[in-house]
Amino acid sequence: MINVLFFGPVAERIGKNILQAEYQFDIRLQDLRDNLAQAYPEAFDIVCFAAVNGEHVRDMSLPLADGSEVAFMARFSGG
Amino acid sequence: MADAVRIQTEDFSQDAEISALKQSSKRMGGVGTFLGCARDFSEGREVSEIRFDSYGSMALSEMQKLRSEAIEKFSLLDARIVHRIGTVRGGDNIVFIAAGAEHRAAALEACRWIIDELKQRVPIWKKEITPQGDAWLASHP
Repeated sequence: MINVLFFGPVAERIGKNILQAEYQFDIRLQDLRDNLAQAYPEAFDIVCFAAVNGEHVRDMSLPLADGSEVAFMARFSGG
Repeated sequence: MADAVRIQTEDFSQDAEISALKQSSKRMGGVGTFLGCARDFSEGREVSEIRFDSYGSMALSEMQKLRSEAIEKFSLLDARIVHRIGTVRGGDNIVFIAAGAEHRAAALEACRWIIDELKQRVPIWKKEITPQGDAWLASHP
């Protein structure tokens, strides 16, 4: 399983903070994003950043491991 | 002494943070600080309160990296970053940054750099609660 986390405006549009995606061999970050964007297009309209296991990831071709924690996030507004 | 980098719901004391910063070195000749506060008016609307959401573990880790990078980049003697989450009202403190260096230029430049980077890199979001409705904020420049 891959744990997918959502926060703030993205969580609000999805209606939940976490969901579990089934792990598939050779799945990449972009594949997961594409699958979720299809299910939650309005939420993914505002997704600007992704993180894997708490680290910013810009390379969307990153392969995901089983048990990964992935977050898709809107632009930050702290400070 | 409290950790140099923290995310917390409760308010913080600027005096306590500066005092802790100064205790790290007596070579410190300049301390630059930034205090971010909640406004009660934004984009033409009264704001009743601001609520924060965060990716807590990542936000703390990114703030710790920011502190380390700032110390290295500006040759600081020490730096502290505290960010509140939860709910705040107009006039309340949100974020405090203190940077200590041998001379003022590095302390002031580091402080500016840390808050600018924090806004770009730290996963925290704020939502304004207004009589007209609630709205998640886009970041301000």
